[in-house]
Amino acid sequence: MKNIDRSILFISLIISLMGLIMIYSTGGLNYFLRQAFWLIGAVIICLIITKFSSRFWMTISLPLYIITCLLTLIVLFYATGYPRRWFNIGFINLQPSEFAKIGTIMLLASYLAEKKKLEKFSDFLIPLLIIAIPSGLIFIEPDFGAAQIFFPIMCFMLYWAGMPLEKIIIFFSPLIAAITSFSIYLWLGFMIIFGIFVYTRKKLTEIVYHLIANPLVGLITPIIWHSLKTYQQKRIIAFLSPWIDPKGISWQAIQSKIAIGSGQLWGKGFLSGTQKKLEFLPERHTDFIFSCIGEELGFIGILISIFLYIFLFYRILSIARETKNKFLSLVAIGILSWFWYQTFINMGMTIGILPITGVPLPFISYGGSSLLACFIGIGIILSIAKVRHYEY
Amino acid sequence: MDEELKKYRTLEILIFGIFAIIIVFSFKLQIFEGKKYHRLSDENRIKKKYISAPRGNIYDRKGRIIANTRPAFYVSVIPALAQQSSIESIARLLEIDLNTIQRKIKLEKNPYASVKISRDIPFEQISLIEESLEDLPGIEVGIEPVRNYPFQELFCHILGYVSEITELELKHMKDYKIGDYTGRIGLEQQYETILKGTDGIDFIEVDVKGRELGKVSEYRAIPPTPGKDLYTTLDLELTDSTAQFLKNFPRAAVIAFNPQNGEVYVIFSKPGFDPNRFVHGLTESEWQLLNNPDDAPLYNRTTMSCYPIGSTIKPFIALAGLDTGFIEPNKRFEPCKGGLQFGNRYFGCWKIHGSLALMDAIIHSCDVYFYQLGRYLGIDIITKMLDDVGFGKQTGIDLPQEKIGILPERKWMEKKYGKGWTEGHILNLSIGQGDILATPLQLARAYSLFANLDNTIVTPHLNKNLKTQNYVIDIKKEALDIIRKSLTGVVEKGTGMMALIPGLLVSGKTGTAENPHGDDHSIFVGYAPSENPEILVCIIVENAGHGGSIAAPIAGKIIKTFWAINKAKQYEKY
Repeated sequence: MKNIDRSILFISLIISLMGLIMIYSTGGLNYFLRQAFWLIGAVIICLIITKFSSRFWMTISLPLYIITCLLTLIVLFYATGYPRRWFNIGFINLQPSEFAKIGTIMLLASYLAEKKKLEKFSDFLIPLLIIAIPSGLIFIEPDFGAAQIFFPIMCFMLYWAGMPLEKIIIFFSPLIAAITSFSIYLWLGFMIIFGIFVYTRKKLTEIVYHLIANPLVGLITPIIWHSLKTYQQKRIIAFLSPWIDPKGISWQAIQSKIAIGSGQLWGKGFLSGTQKKLEFLPERHTDFIFSCIGEELGFIGILISIFLYIFLFYRILSIARETKNKFLSLVAIGILSWFWYQTFINMGMTIGILPITGVPLPFISYGGSSLLACFIGIGIILSIAKVRHYEY
Repeated sequence: MDEELKKYRTLEILIFGIFAIIIVFSFKLQIFEGKKYHRLSDENRIKKKYISAPRGNIYDRKGRIIANTRPAFYVSVIPALAQQSSIESIARLLEIDLNTIQRKIKLEKNPYASVKISRDIPFEQISLIEESLEDLPGIEVGIEPVRNYPFQELFCHILGYVSEITELELKHMKDYKIGDYTGRIGLEQQYETILKGTDGIDFIEVDVKGRELGKVSEYRAIPPTPGKDLYTTLDLELTDSTAQFLKNFPRAAVIAFNPQNGEVYVIFSKPGFDPNRFVHGLTESEWQLLNNPDDAPLYNRTTMSCYPIGSTIKPFIALAGLDTGFIEPNKRFEPCKGGLQFGNRYFGCWKIHGSLALMDAIIHSCDVYFYQLGRYLGIDIITKMLDDVGFGKQTGIDLPQEKIGILPERKWMEKKYGKGWTEGHILNLSIGQGDILATPLQLARAYSLFANLDNTIVTPHLNKNLKTQNYVIDIKKEALDIIRKSLTGVVEKGTGMMALIPGLLVSGKTGTAENPHGDDHSIFVGYAPSENPEILVCIIVENAGHGGSIAAPIAGKIIKTFWAINKAKQYEKY
C-alpha cells in the first residue's frame, strides 16, 4: 500500500459505498450482496494492478486491445440472451464492452504517444479506425450507450496529445450538421456561424471541407431519415434506446424528472422514495440510480455525489498533468474522459437535459463488469501515479 | 501561456463546467419546481377512489318514503389493466354491446381509474361474473347506492328519474364525473342540487401497475355527504286512489292541491313509466317506446300538455263581465235555440236552453249565452281577465319544463291571422275553444281564485318547506260571490251533478274540449267544501267524452277519498 495515492482509492471507494447503499434501497438485499462481492473483488484486483510497472502497460497495449476486441466479437455469438452483451462464466456475467474501453484507451495512448505532430486531417484516420472496431461491434450487440463512449475518449486523447481543439471541432463538424439538419433554421445558423469561424482561420482545406462535407451531410441525413418507413424509424429509435417501453418515449424521462424533482432539498428519506418503491422509476438500480439519489437524498444528496466525482476527476486530471511520460499521461486522460463522459451522460439523462441512452453511472450503478472495469481503471491510474515524476 | 497548462485549463473548465450545469438543473428541478414534482409524484401513486353518496330520500306529506336508495351491483373496468379479451368476455357475460363499453372507457382519461360499464346488475348475473372474475384482469365488481322508487309508476312524472350524465352534459357541468347520476324531469331534476349529495374520496396508494396497496396515511379520506332529504306535500294514499279511479283510461292528467296554501296532494299523469328502469340504463328500443309522440309517457301532462279548456273558461268570461260592470247577474241575451247563427257560420250549443240569466248559463253551461256575452265584452276584456288569473304564463310551480299554453290576445291574433281575424274567434274563445290552450296546472291554479275567499291566486307547490306563493287580484267581491254560487249550482243541479257527494258541498265546472285529434277531452275543475275549500281538483281525461259524465264523477271520488283519509271525524259529523 506504500506509494499509493490514497485519496483516489479512498474517494472511489466512498462513491462505490454510496452506490452500494442506493442499490440496497433500489434493488434490495440480494442485489446489494452481489454488488458487495463484486466490489471486494474489484478492489483486490485494483490493488494488484497497482503493482504492475508502467512498462508493462506499454508492452501489452496492443495485445490487450486485440483480446478485448475479440471478446466483444465473440459475445455476439455466445451471448446469454438479447441484447448480446454478456458472457456467462460460471456464476457470473461478464460484459466485454466495459473492458474494451480499457484496451482501446491503451492502444490509442501508445499510438498517439509516438506521434510528434498532430495537425493534419489524415492524423484522425488511425485513431478513428482504432475506436471504430470496438465501437462498431458493441453497436451491433446492440448497446448504443456503450458504443458512444469511444468517440469522446478519442477526442480528449487527441487533444491531450497535441491536436488543436479547433481542428478537432472542424473535423467532426459534419456530426453537428447531421444533428442540426432536422431543423432548417438550426442548420442554417450552424452553417453561417461555423462558416465565419472557419473563414477567419484562412485555411483553404478547412473552408473547402466545411463547404462540401457539411451541406452534403445536412442534406443527406434528413433524406435518408424520411425515406424510411415509420416503423423503420421507430425501430431505429428503439434500437438506439432499447428499453423504451410501450408507455411511450417520454415516460421514463418524465418519471425520472418527477423522482428527482419530488426529492426537493432534503429528499424523501432513505428507502422512502415513492417513485422508486412503487416502480414508477424504470431501471432503478442500474441506469436510473441517480434519480433515486435525487428522490431519497434530495438536492443535498446530489450535491454530495457530484462533489465526490469532481474531487476524483480533479485528482486524476492533476496526475495526468504531472505525469512526465506521454503514454501514461494519455492513458490517465483516456480513463478520466471515460469516467467523466459516462457520469455526465447518465446524470444529464436522469435530469432530463439529454436523451435517454443506456449508460451506467461509474462506481454507483449496479453491474459487476462496470464496477470491475472502473476499479481496473483506478488501479491503472494508481500505478501511473506512483511513477508520474519519472521520464523514462 | 505554457501549451501544457493551456490544455490543462481547457479540460478543467470543460469537466467542471459540465457539472455546474448538472447542479444548476438539479437545483431548478428540486428547489424551484420541487413542489410541482412532489405533487406529480403524489398524483402518480395516489388514486382517488370515489365513494358514491346516496341520494336524498323523498317523502310524502305524512313522512312515507316515495323515493329512496338501495344497494346495487356494478361492474367496472380499469382500462390499463384490462386486456381486450377480458373486456370482450365481460361484454358477453353482461350481454351488452362491446362498442358501448369502449365508448365509456374512452371518456376516462386516467387509464388506472375504474370505469363503471354496467350498473344495477341482477344477482344471478353478478354471481356468474364473480365466478369468472379471476380470469378477468382489470374487471371489478362493486356495490353502490342507486335510486329506488318503491311505487314504480305511481309517482313517475312528479318525481322524475335519474340516469347517467351524458358526454355532452359533462362538458359544462363541472361538479360531475363520468358515470354520475343526475335527476331528469320532475322533482329529481328540480331539486338535483339538494338531493345529489357529494361523493366521498378514498386516497389509495397504487404502484405503477395500478395495484392498490392500501390507504394513504398523509391524506385523510373524505367521507361521502349523503344528499339531503326532500319532504313533499304529496299524499301517497290519495295518489294511489287517483290512479285506481283512472285505471280504465289510457291518457289523463290530475292535479289536486290545497287552494289555501298551495300544497299539492296529487299530480298524476297517464300513461307513465317505471322510473327504476333508468338506473340500469335503457336499451334503444325501450327508449324509443318511451318517446313515441302519441302517448308520450315521459310527458307530465299536468304541466307539459296544453289543452283547449272548453267550458271551464266560462266562469272567467262571466267574471270579466261582472267585474267590469258591463253586465248584471240578471242579464239575459237572445234565448238559446240550440245554436247561434253568426255571419255565415252556425255556432252550436250542446242543448236547447231557452232564455237564461248569468248564473243558470254557467250552471247549465249554455254556449249560446257565452257566445253573446263574449262578443258583447270584446277580446280585450276577456283576455285581460284570463291574463290576470295566470293563463299564458308559467305558474312557477317547483317542477321543471313547465309549458305556458296560448293566451290569444289581440296582438297574438293579429300576428297569427293578420287583419283577417274576426269576432268568430271571440265566440270560440268564449267557450274555451279555438286558439286558447292551457295546462291542467294553469287551469287548476286559476280556479284557486274561486276557492279562496280573499281574491288570491295560490300557486301549487310540492316542497313542504316552500312558502305559499300567491298574489291578490283586484276584483269586486260581489262578482266573485256570484260565480262561486254558480259553481256550487253546477254540482248541485247542473252539468257537474255526478261530482256530488252527500253531506259535502262541492263546487266546480265541467268542460268538454273538442279537439281535432279525436274524441272530446273530458274536463272537470272543482273544490270542496265550498264554504272553506281544502282541496281543489282539476282533471282532464283525454278523448273520454263529456266532462260531466267522466271527469266529474272521478273528481267526486277523489274529493271523497281525500275527505275519508284526512277528515274522517268531520266526515262522520256531516
